[in-house]
Amino acid sequence: MTQPLLEVQDLHTVFSTKEGWVKAVDGVSFELHPGETLGIVGESGCGKSVTALSIMRLQRPGLIKSGRVMFKGEDLTKATEAEMREVRGREIAMIFQDPMTSLNPVFRTGWQVAEPLRLHHGWNAKKSLTSAINMLGKVGIPSAVDRAEDYPHQFSGGMRQRVMIAMGLTTTPEVLIADEPTTALDVTIQAQILDLLRHVNQEFGTATILITHNLGVVAGMCKRIIVMYAGRIVEAGPTTDVFAHPKHPYTWALLRSIPRLDAERHEPLKPIDGLPPNLVDLPSGCAFHPRCAFKIEKCSRDVPALQRVGDTQLSACWVTQAGTELKGA
Amino acid sequence: MPESAVKPLSRAWTTADPLLEVSDLKVWFSVSSGVLQRVVGHVHAVDGVDLEIKTGETVGLVGESGCGKSTLGRAVIRLLEPTGGKILFKGSDISHLRGERLRALRRDMAMIFQDPYASLDPRQTVGDIVGEPIDVHHLAKGKERQDRIQELLRVVGLNPRFVDRYPHEFSGGQRQRIGIARALAVEPSFIVCDEPISALDVSIQAQIINLLERLQSKFNLTYLFIAHDLSVVKHISNRIAVMYLGKIMEVAGGSQLYRRPRHPYTASLLSAIPIPDPVIELRRERTILQGDVASPINPPSGCRFRTRCPRAQEHCAEEVPPLESYGDEHRAACFYPLD
Amino acid sequence: MIGPSRVAELDMPGAAIEGASTRPAQSYWNESWERLRANRIGMAAGILILIFALIAILAPVFSAVLTHFQPQTIDLSQTFSPPGGKHLLGTDELGRDTLTRLIWGARVTLGVALLTVAVSLTVGTAVGMMAGYYGGWLDDLLMRLVDTVLAIPAIFLFILMSILFRPTPVSLALIIASVGWGQVARLVRGEVLSVKQRDFILATRSIGARHLRLMLRHLLPNVLPVLIVAASLGVGQIILIEAALDFLGLGIQPPTPSWGNQLTNAESYFFHSIWLVNFPGLLIFVTVLASNVFGNAIRDAFDPRLK
Repeated sequence: MTQPLLEVQDLHTVFSTKEGWVKAVDGVSFELHPGETLGIVGESGCGKSVTALSIMRLQRPGLIKSGRVMFKGEDLTKATEAEMREVRGREIAMIFQDPMTSLNPVFRTGWQVAEPLRLHHGWNAKKSLTSAINMLGKVGIPSAVDRAEDYPHQFSGGMRQRVMIAMGLTTTPEVLIADEPTTALDVTIQAQILDLLRHVNQEFGTATILITHNLGVVAGMCKRIIVMYAGRIVEAGPTTDVFAHPKHPYTWALLRSIPRLDAERHEPLKPIDGLPPNLVDLPSGCAFHPRCAFKIEKCSRDVPALQRVGDTQLSACWVTQAGTELKGA
Repeated sequence: MPESAVKPLSRAWTTADPLLEVSDLKVWFSVSSGVLQRVVGHVHAVDGVDLEIKTGETVGLVGESGCGKSTLGRAVIRLLEPTGGKILFKGSDISHLRGERLRALRRDMAMIFQDPYASLDPRQTVGDIVGEPIDVHHLAKGKERQDRIQELLRVVGLNPRFVDRYPHEFSGGQRQRIGIARALAVEPSFIVCDEPISALDVSIQAQIINLLERLQSKFNLTYLFIAHDLSVVKHISNRIAVMYLGKIMEVAGGSQLYRRPRHPYTASLLSAIPIPDPVIELRRERTILQGDVASPINPPSGCRFRTRCPRAQEHCAEEVPPLESYGDEHRAACFYPLD
Repeated sequence: MIGPSRVAELDMPGAAIEGASTRPAQSYWNESWERLRANRIGMAAGILILIFALIAILAPVFSAVLTHFQPQTIDLSQTFSPPGGKHLLGTDELGRDTLTRLIWGARVTLGVALLTVAVSLTVGTAVGMMAGYYGGWLDDLLMRLVDTVLAIPAIFLFILMSILFRPTPVSLALIIASVGWGQVARLVRGEVLSVKQRDFILATRSIGARHLRLMLRHLLPNVLPVLIVAASLGVGQIILIEAALDFLGLGIQPPTPSWGNQLTNAESYFFHSIWLVNFPGLLIFVTVLASNVFGNAIRDAFDPRLK
C-alpha cells in the first residue's frame, strides 16, 4: 500500500457551551491516500464537518484537545498559524456547502479565483488572472474570459460552486476537502458538480475528502467510506462492502430507512426509532445503543472501539465484533 | 366532515370524482423596478397547469427550485390567488373565493411546511399552535378543546404532556410532528405537503414519511406531496407530476415513470438522482444536463426545456408541446419523446 | 373525528416522545428574563429607574415626611442657602427647597417621558403594523406620512407648538410624541415585514385565521421585544429633549418644577450657587445613563446573538 498523504490520528475536538464541553469529534482516526476519494457520511452534528475543519485548523471556536493530523510528515495540529496559511489553499483546499457566503460579494470573480495564486505563488495580477480564467474554463464555466469580470451574485448556485472549485484548484493542491458541496443545489446541478469532482480527481489526481449526508452521493463517488455518529467513526471500509454488508447497526438501519428510486414494490420504510443524540448529554456506552435493534447489555456500559470486522471493514460495535450477522425483518 | 364552502357547479360531487381538478392554472408575479415601481415583467411561476387529484390518492410533484411547484401547491389551497385558469375542489370552483367562504374552505384543506423551524410561531406553546385552528373555526372550547389538542399530539407521536412547551425545545422531527398536528386539527380532506422532510436528518425522514402514510390511511386523506427528491416522491406517491419552469412535463404512476420516462427532462432527472448502491451507481449511464434552468421571467419560446434538452429540434422552439397521452394515465409534453 | 381508539394503532417510537422532558417549560420571555437577571449592571440600572419612579409617585409623602417643604413655597429670607441644615440640598433664588423641587420634578419629568413613550409606541405600532401588514398603497401612504413627520425639523415644531399651546406636562408629552411615533412606526414596519415572511404566518393563514388574529396574536408578540427595547432606550432620549425644551423655556413652565426648568438661569447662578446646577444636572445624567444601560441590557436579554 502507498504511503498515506494525510493521516488523522485520534483527533479530539471540543466546543465549550453553557452546558459544558461538547465532544464534537471524539477520537477520530483515518488515512487518505494519494488520488483517492474518501467519503465521510453522517447526519448533522455527527462531527463530519468539524473533522474537516480541524484538519484545516479552522475549527474555532472549537479546540483541538489532542490527536495528530499528519500531512507530509508534519503534524498540522502543531503548525504555526503562518505555516497553516501556507497549507490552506495551497496544499489542502476546501469547498463548502454554501458557495454564496464563501465568495466575497464586492470583488470580481476572476480576481477572487486568482487570489490564491497571488498569495501563495506571488504572481502578479495579470499572470494570476490568466491562470484563473484558464481554470474557470476547465471547471466548465462558459465564456470564462467574460464571466471572470462578473460579481459572484451574477452566477447561479451551481456556477458559484464551480467558481469555488476553480479557486480551490488554481494552486493544484494535493487534497481537496468538499464539505456538502451539493447539498444546496438542485439534483441536475448536483449531478454536474459531482461529475466535475470526478473529473478533477482523474485529471489532477487530487485526493478528495467528500463530506455528505447523502448515501447515494458517496455510493457513486467514493471507493472508501467512513460513517460517523455522535463524534465517532462507527464504521469504515470499501464502499461496496459497507453497502452490501454493513457491519454497524447504524449503517445497516440507515440504508434500510431511505427510500430507493429503484425499489420495485411499495413497502413501508423501516425508520430508525428515536432521535439523533444530544452531544451535550450522550448516552452511556455506545451512543447509538438507545436506537439500536441489536443492542446487548454491554452496549449501554462500554464504548466499543473501532475494530476489524470481516475482511475489509472496521466497525465500532460489540455485536458485530462478537461475530453476529445483522439481519432483520 | 364540514359542509363544503361552495355551491356545487352542476351535479352533486361524489368521492368517485376527482377531489381536485386544476385546469390551465396560471400564477404570475409582477416584477417592478425603478423609483415608480413600474411593472416591467412577470415571473411565470405557474404557467398553464392541468392536474387532477383523486380522492385518497397521493400525487407527487417534483421539479428543481424555481419550477413553480411550491407556488402551484399554494395556489391550489388558495394561499395565492390564481392569475388565470380554474381550480375545482370537490366539484366547485374555488379559484376566486374570498372572505368567509374562503375561510370555510380552510377547514377542508391544510398545508405542511418544509422548514419546521420557521413554520411554528416561536412565541406560542405547542398547545396554542395545535389549538389555533380549533379556535379559529370554533370547533371546541374548554375541556373539550384541551382533549382534542392532546389527542392530536398523540396521533402524531408526541407526548401530550408537551402542550405547554415551546417549539425551540424540540428537535426538527418533533417540530415537524407539531406542524402535522396543526394541519390535522381542522380535519381536512386534502393536505399539501411542501417538502415536509427535506429539512430533516436522514434517520428521521423515514419516521415522518411513515407517519404521513399512516395518517393518510386512517383519516382517508388526499395528499399533494411536493419535493425535489424523486426517490422520496416515488415511494409515497401513486402518481408523479414532473414540473419544469411553470409547466408540467410529464405525469405518470411512480414505477411507470421510473421504468419508462417519455420526457427527456424526466429521464435526465432520474439519471441525476444518486442511488445508494455502489454496484448500481458504477453501472449507471448518466445523462448530465448542461446549463442552468432558464429564467421564469422570460421563459424560452415553445418547449421550456429545449434550451437544455439533448433531443431538441427546431420545431421545439416554435410550438408549445401539449400533454399527450401514452396510455394508462401516462402523459408527457414532448414532440420527440423517448420510447 | 380522530378518536382514541385509532390512536392506539399508530405506533409511537418511545424516544421520539421523550427528549424534551427533562427541563421545565421555558418560554421566550422566561429565558429573556433569566438572561436579564444575570446582567448585574443592567439590573442595577433598572432598579435605579424603578426607585426614581417610586420617589416620583410618592412625592407628596416625601415632601411631607422628609423635607417638610412644598415645592412652590417661596421664602425670600432663605434665598441661595447652600446645602445642609434645614435645606438638605439648599434653596434657589426664591428660597424654594431644592430637594423638594427635585422630588416633585421627578414626577413631571418621568411622567412626561412615560406618557410620551406610551403615546409614541401606541400610535407608531398601529401605523407601522398596518403599513407592514397590508402593504400596497396603504403602506405607501402611511410611510410617506412618516417621512413627512420625520422631515420636519423637530425643534421648530416644538417651539411653534409651545407658543401656540402653553405646555402642560400632558400637552408637552403629546408634542414630543407627535414626532416620536414616526421612528417607532418605521421600526415596527421593518420588523413586521421580516416576520411576515416567515412560514408560520403563512401557516396561520392556511388554517383560516383573520387579519386581526394574525396581527395581534402572531405579529405583535414577535415585534414586542423590539418595542420594549425602543421604549427603554426612548425614555432617556425623551428626558433629554424635555430637559432641553424646559431649559429654553419652551417646556414645562415655572412654577411647576421639572428637572429641566430647574436648570433655567443656571448660567447666572453657576458661580455662586453651583448646587442649583449640579443636582438637577446630575439627576438627568444618571437617569438618562441608567435608561440607556437598561435598554441595552434588555436588548441583549432578548437577543443574545447581538452581544
